[in-house]
Amino acid sequence: MSQATFREISPSEFFYRNRDLAGFSNPSRALYMTVRELVENSLDACDHNKILPHITISIKPVEKDSPDPKQYVVTVTDNGPGITPDYVPMAFGKVLYGTKFTLRQARGMFGLGATMAILYGQITTNKPVTIKTTQNGKMYEYTMQLDIQRNRPLILNKEKTDANGFKGLSISITLEGDYGKSQNKIRDYVAQTALITPYANISLQDPVGNKIKFKRVTKVIPPPPLEIEPHPTGVDVETLRRLIGHEYNTSQSFGQEMKERVKKELGADRINQSSDTIADLAKKRWEKLTRAVKTAASIVVLLDINLDDLEKVRVDNIDVPNSKISYITLLDENYHTIKLKKINPFFKHLVSVVEGDTVLDFMTRNFQRVGPNIAKKFIDFAKIDSKKRIGTLSNNEIVALADAMQRYPAFLAPDASCLSPLGEKLLEAGIRKVFNAEFVATVQRPPSAYSGFPFIVEMGMAYGGDIKTDSISLYRFANRIPLLYDEGSDVAMKVIEEVDWPRYRVGQESPLIIVSHICSTRVPYKTVGKEYIADRPEIEYELRNGIRFLARKLAAFLSKKGHLEMQKKRAGIYSKYLPMLAQFTTELAKAKKEPNYKPLLKLGEEVEEGEGGSEEQESQG
Amino acid sequence: MKKEKEVAKNKKAKVKELLKEFGTRVYRDLDNSVFPEVAIPSRSVSNIVYDKKLRQYVLGKAMLSRSAKNMRHLRPFTQLVWMAFFVNKLINQGKTSTLRDIYYSAQAFNMDFEDQPESDHTITDLEALLTMAREDFNVYPEERSSVFGDLTIEYTVPGYEGRRLNLSDHPDGYLIGPSLSTAEFVKTGAEMVIAVEKGGIFTRFVEEKVHKKFKAIIVDTAGQPPRSTRYLLKRLHDELDLDVFILADGDVYGEHIAMVIKSGSANAAHLRELTVPDAKWIGVWASDIQKYKLPTDPMTEADIKRCHELKKDPRYQSDIWQRELDLFLKMKRKSELEAFSKYGLTKITDDYLPEKLEMANSMD
Repeated sequence: MSQATFREISPSEFFYRNRDLAGFSNPSRALYMTVRELVENSLDACDHNKILPHITISIKPVEKDSPDPKQYVVTVTDNGPGITPDYVPMAFGKVLYGTKFTLRQARGMFGLGATMAILYGQITTNKPVTIKTTQNGKMYEYTMQLDIQRNRPLILNKEKTDANGFKGLSISITLEGDYGKSQNKIRDYVAQTALITPYANISLQDPVGNKIKFKRVTKVIPPPPLEIEPHPTGVDVETLRRLIGHEYNTSQSFGQEMKERVKKELGADRINQSSDTIADLAKKRWEKLTRAVKTAASIVVLLDINLDDLEKVRVDNIDVPNSKISYITLLDENYHTIKLKKINPFFKHLVSVVEGDTVLDFMTRNFQRVGPNIAKKFIDFAKIDSKKRIGTLSNNEIVALADAMQRYPAFLAPDASCLSPLGEKLLEAGIRKVFNAEFVATVQRPPSAYSGFPFIVEMGMAYGGDIKTDSISLYRFANRIPLLYDEGSDVAMKVIEEVDWPRYRVGQESPLIIVSHICSTRVPYKTVGKEYIADRPEIEYELRNGIRFLARKLAAFLSKKGHLEMQKKRAGIYSKYLPMLAQFTTELAKAKKEPNYKPLLKLGEEVEEGEGGSEEQESQG
Repeated sequence: MKKEKEVAKNKKAKVKELLKEFGTRVYRDLDNSVFPEVAIPSRSVSNIVYDKKLRQYVLGKAMLSRSAKNMRHLRPFTQLVWMAFFVNKLINQGKTSTLRDIYYSAQAFNMDFEDQPESDHTITDLEALLTMAREDFNVYPEERSSVFGDLTIEYTVPGYEGRRLNLSDHPDGYLIGPSLSTAEFVKTGAEMVIAVEKGGIFTRFVEEKVHKKFKAIIVDTAGQPPRSTRYLLKRLHDELDLDVFILADGDVYGEHIAMVIKSGSANAAHLRELTVPDAKWIGVWASDIQKYKLPTDPMTEADIKRCHELKKDPRYQSDIWQRELDLFLKMKRKSELEAFSKYGLTKITDDYLPEKLEMANSMD
C-alpha cells in the first residue's frame, strides 16, 4: 500500500506552482501582468499619500534582435513615497506580505502584485530584481532574489547613494515575455489607465522605440477611501472568527496611522516616544482614550519599546493565566515570548481585550452601521445571550452567529465611504483626455450593495469626433483598473446588448464609446482571472439605469445635432435647386425674366422635417 | 403620304406646346411663391393593366406626386424640369440625342444624375407626364436594329431634307436610327414585313433573296426590338398597309418578342404608338419543333419559370399563345432558328417560311 505524504508548502511555492491563477500563464500574458501589477502598486502608493502620480514604464529587450518570446527588462518608476528601506526585502521578497488585506478599495487584486512578477521573472530568467527607493535625499538600491521554498528574500547587494533629486520608487524586473503578442493589450492598458486616472502623468517607452505619453488633465485627486468595519451581511464564519480573534489576542500589527493616532490622543505632537513617556501620558488621560489607543499604548508599555517601533512588531498571543506575551519582530521575523508585567491600567486593559467584549458590544464595535438598537434586535434574532463574552463563544455558536448575520433582514445598507469613485467631473476629464469626442457625458449612480458589499457604479459615454468604431465599444473598469479580457462575458456588455438603441437614435455602427466603472470593496468577478464581472442583479440595475440616463442625454444631443444638420441640408438643397428650376422654366415658358423664386428659398427652410417623409408619395388620382 | 408628313409636323408642334405648358405652369408657381407640384402616372407594376380594347398594356389611375416643397422630391423634380428644358432645346434646334448622351449632357448644366439609369428614369417620367415617346423628344436609344427591302424613303433630318434612298441598295441593310425613323415613306413594292430575331437569319434571308421571293421588307429586331424598331414596324403596317410576320427562336423568349411587338411591353405601358396588334407570330412554335424534328436543347430552370409567368399574363390567354406555352412546358426542350441548318442552309427559306406564311394567311 502506498502512503500519501503531506507536506506544507510556502505561499511563494504555492504560487510558483499555480502561477496561472495570478495571470502569469504565458510569456505574453506575463509581460502584460508585470506592467500592470507594478503600475497599480505605484498608483495606489501615490493615491494614499495624495501625490499626483508621475509614472514611467519602460520595456527593453535584453537582446534586441532575437525573436519573441525573449527576455525583457520591465522598469516602472513612480514619484510616490517610496518604501522605508528596511522594509524593501520583506515587501518585495515575500508573497502575501502587504497592506492590501483590508476593507477598503484598492487597485491591487491579489496582494501578490510585484512579488508575483518578481517570482515569474526569476523562474524564467534567473535574474535578480533591482529596487530603488529614496529616503531623506538618499537612494537605496537593492538587488535581490526570492527563496521560493522558504518564502523569504535573498539580498544579493545593497547600496546607498545620493538620490540626486529623485524621489520615489523604481523596480526593474527581467522576465521572459512576448511583446509582439502583448503590445496591443499593454498599450490599451496604459491608455485606459490614463482615462481612469486623469490626474496622472503616464508614459510608456516600448521595446521598438515608441513613446506613448499621457499628460494629466487635472490636479484633483479623488478623496481616498476610508478603512471601515465590515458590514455584517458580508461576513462569513472565517472572517467572524478573525474579528473575534482580534478582540481577544490582538494579533495585529500597528501601522503608521496608529502611531499618529496615539500621538494625537496623548496630546502632543513632539513627544518623547519612549515607553515611560507613553505610560505617563496615557495614565493621565486614560478615561478619555479610545479603546484602540489604549491597546496600542498598553503594548508599547508592556513590551517596553519606543512608539516608533510599534509598527515593527506583531502581537501573536497574550497568555493571561501564565502572564506571558508573544510577538514577532517584522524585520527579521523572529518570535519572542516575554513575561507580562502587571503594570496597570495597561495590564488590566489587555486582560479585558483578551476576554473580549460582550456579544452586544462586539456587534456595535466591529460592524459598520450597527448601533446598540440594531445589535440588540439582531442578537434576539440570533438567539444568543447578549451578555456573553465573545471570547467564550463555542464553535457552534460562532457558526450560528455568522449564519444569523446572513439571514437578518433589518441591517442598514452598507456604508459606501470606503469606496473611492472617480466622480462625474474627473471621469469626464479622463474620457476627454483619451478621446477627442463631440459629446461626452458621465453619471455616478447612488451607492448600493450586494451581499453586504457596498458598490458604486459610474458610467460615461463619448460620441463622434475622432472616435472611429464600427460598433459600440465598451471600456470597463473596476476599482480604477481597466479590465481588458473577456469583455463579452461582462455584465456591462449584457446590459448594453439589452438596451433598445434605436430608441435613442443610436445605430449599430455609431461611433459610440461606453465606459463603466464599478467601485466596490469586493468586486464580484466571475472567475479567478478577475477580468469580468458577474451579473449580480443589484449591479445590473445600476448599470442599466446609468446607461439609460446617458443614452437619453445622447439622444437629446443627437436630436439637436440632427435638427441643425437637417436645417443646413435643407437650406442647401433649396438654394441649389430653386435657381435651377427658375432658369430652366424661364426658357421653357419663353419668359423674359426669371420668376421671383426668392421668397420660396426662405419658405423652404421652414418646411417641417416630417413633410420629407417618403421618397415618393403615391395616390389614387 | 403628304398627310403623314402633316401628322409628323403636327406632332412636333404638339410636343413643343406640351413642354411650354409644363414649363409655364412651374414658372408661374415659382413666381407666385407657390411650391410647384407635378402628378405623374405611376409606372409601378401594380398600376399596369392590360387594355383588351387597345390590345396593349396601359397605365392605371394611380399617380405619383412630386412636390418642390418636399426636400426629398426637390432634386427629382428639378431633374424632370431639366429634362423638359433639354429636350425642348433638342427639338428647337432640330438635333437628336441618345439616352447616354443626355446623361453626360446633364453635367454641363450642373444637373446631377447619380448614374445613367437615373437619367433614363427621368426621361421615362417625362414620357409618362406628357404621354409622348422619347423619340418624339428626339431621343433615341443606342442599340439599333436593321431593315432591308424595297422601300424608298425621303429624309427629313436637317441637311438631308428631300434626299431619297431605297432600303435594298445596301446588302447589309440600314440601321434603324433617328434619320431613318423620321424619314418619310415614298414608295414600296413590298407586300409584307418579316421581322426576325437575329442578325444571322437576317443576313441569310437577304442572301436567299427572301425580299424578292416573298416581296418582303426584312427587319432584324436584334433580340427584343428597341422602341424605334417597334415604331418603324407600326408605321410600315399603318402607313403602307403591310402585314407584319414575326419569326423568332423556338423558345419562351422568342414567343415573348412576338408578343411585345404585338401588344407592347410593361415598360412602355404609358405609350400608345408602339404596338402592331395585327402582327402575326409565325414561329418557331413549340409544335414546329416536333413537326420539323428540330435539334433541341433542354430548357433551363429560368426558362421554365418564365414560361409559368407568361402563362398567367393577360396577353397570353388566347389559344395559340397559351397552347404553345403548354407545349414548351410539356417538352421542356427549345430550339433556335439556326436549328433548321440541320436539313441544309436553305431549308428555312425553301420550306419552313413558305409553309408558315401560308398557314398564317389561311388563318385569317
